[in-house]
Amino acid sequence: MTFSSTSKSLAKISLSPLAFVEKQFGQGVELIGQCILLFFQTLYYIIKGEIDWHETFRQSYMIGVKSFVVVSVTALFVGFAMSLQIARELVLFGGDTAIGGVVSLALIREIGPITAGVIVAGRVGSAIAAELTTMMITEQIDALKVMRIDPVQFLVVPRYLAGLMMMPVLSIYAMFIGLLAGIMIAHSAANVPPATFLDSVKQTILDRDFTVHFEKSLLNATIVIIFSCAIGLHTRGGAEDVGLATTRTIVWTMTVIFIVNYIVTSLTYAPR
Amino acid sequence: MRRKTNIPERKATAGELMIEVKNLSKSFNSRRIIEDISFKVHAGETLGIIGPSGCGKSTILKLLCGLLKPDSGEVIVHSKELGLVFQGSALLNSLTVRENLALALRARKLKRAEEEKIIVEKLKLVGLSDYIYSFPAQLSGGQQKRTSFARAVTNDPKIILYDEPTTGLDPVMSTVIEDYMIDMAKQFIPASIVVTHQFSTWRRTTDRIILLHAGHIQWEGSADEALTSENPYMKQFAHATREGPMLSNGIEV
Repeated sequence: MTFSSTSKSLAKISLSPLAFVEKQFGQGVELIGQCILLFFQTLYYIIKGEIDWHETFRQSYMIGVKSFVVVSVTALFVGFAMSLQIARELVLFGGDTAIGGVVSLALIREIGPITAGVIVAGRVGSAIAAELTTMMITEQIDALKVMRIDPVQFLVVPRYLAGLMMMPVLSIYAMFIGLLAGIMIAHSAANVPPATFLDSVKQTILDRDFTVHFEKSLLNATIVIIFSCAIGLHTRGGAEDVGLATTRTIVWTMTVIFIVNYIVTSLTYAPR
Repeated sequence: MRRKTNIPERKATAGELMIEVKNLSKSFNSRRIIEDISFKVHAGETLGIIGPSGCGKSTILKLLCGLLKPDSGEVIVHSKELGLVFQGSALLNSLTVRENLALALRARKLKRAEEEKIIVEKLKLVGLSDYIYSFPAQLSGGQQKRTSFARAVTNDPKIILYDEPTTGLDPVMSTVIEDYMIDMAKQFIPASIVVTHQFSTWRRTTDRIILLHAGHIQWEGSADEALTSENPYMKQFAHATREGPMLSNGIEV
């Protein structure tokens, strides 16, 4: 008896390394092309105002509200670990009062958007890819097309708008939870009072940091939703392909989030 | 493919030409699935497309409703209202039965009361008015298929396409589904195409059948003629025997 997963794996192994890289590169270019096309199709419907608000709010609940617990836990522990490291080093050099500033800078510029982006990519992106792939396999997408409903308008636009609305909220929330963790660690490990911590935050954070934070969260939402929808809407096959689509979504969205966040950081904060 | 969407929608009159397929060919990955197929279907007529698995029956339906593009040839559909009953029902799992039917009415932008009236009427047709707020997962296979029927006729289509409507159902439910198909043909006078390999379905529901094999139409005639045909393909298919041109060295071609 042979299993398709085994035969697919063997087929991959049987390719020469060069052919394998070429195939992967080709698939990557194809996916990026599909994402660009899907992004502009989605924008077209948004600009035309053809938006199903009921579905958008339902998706906002799925993407945003249901992610709050996992974002809380992740941001809290990332905040604990990061603050502990920063406090330890700064205390050595007598910089106790700067703990708040350094922690908040890291949170607002990088950790907040990245944490929310990665959590939404793992929890929501994979779910969207699995849902849309299943819809493709079970002909639900074909049924929509026969009823003259564009799957992009019906499925992608509400998810994209929900992502744009909820990702900044989750990012800011992650940042505040991280700050709360910072206050607790600074107080318990370095004996810095919360008022001193917050004073340092106020003196360090600039308005531009909030703008960049907001921009990054919108970009992360775009990456997660567009990549997961593009992968979902272009996957064919059977049950095995649902699993492959979710894995592919997580790998691509997380990689692209890290790359894009670095590009934004380098364009905004690199020394001139 | 051409879909003549500028035609004013009215009830089709029996005998009116609704579907024209001219010299249609389609390949997948350089494998020719259908080659130079032509046929016509008129209002009030049910055409059965039969043949062994993988002979391109469902591909023809997908070409007819624009889900696939032909490599060559032409499909002319003389109506914009077209209903398709999918093999696996293809109901949207996240929506209720009501919402699934409402999707078909979306383009018409009806008021909710009007929409509700049509949905209830169509669900009554298939005996599912008590399940209006159920989700597909709460329905049996037969009920899902009937919901798919109701959705396909929500807009009173002039063309109804059935993709393996009775495959996977028990004999009793198959008979129920076939009865709905016969009722719908009487009530809406559509041009219907039934893709199937179930003997009872093509025997009971079609006026004319074409037998596909290896990408070509091998035989065409009525269901009654099919049973007495001496055509080697039709004879083998109708009598379900191993002897005949559909098997070569024990392997299906």
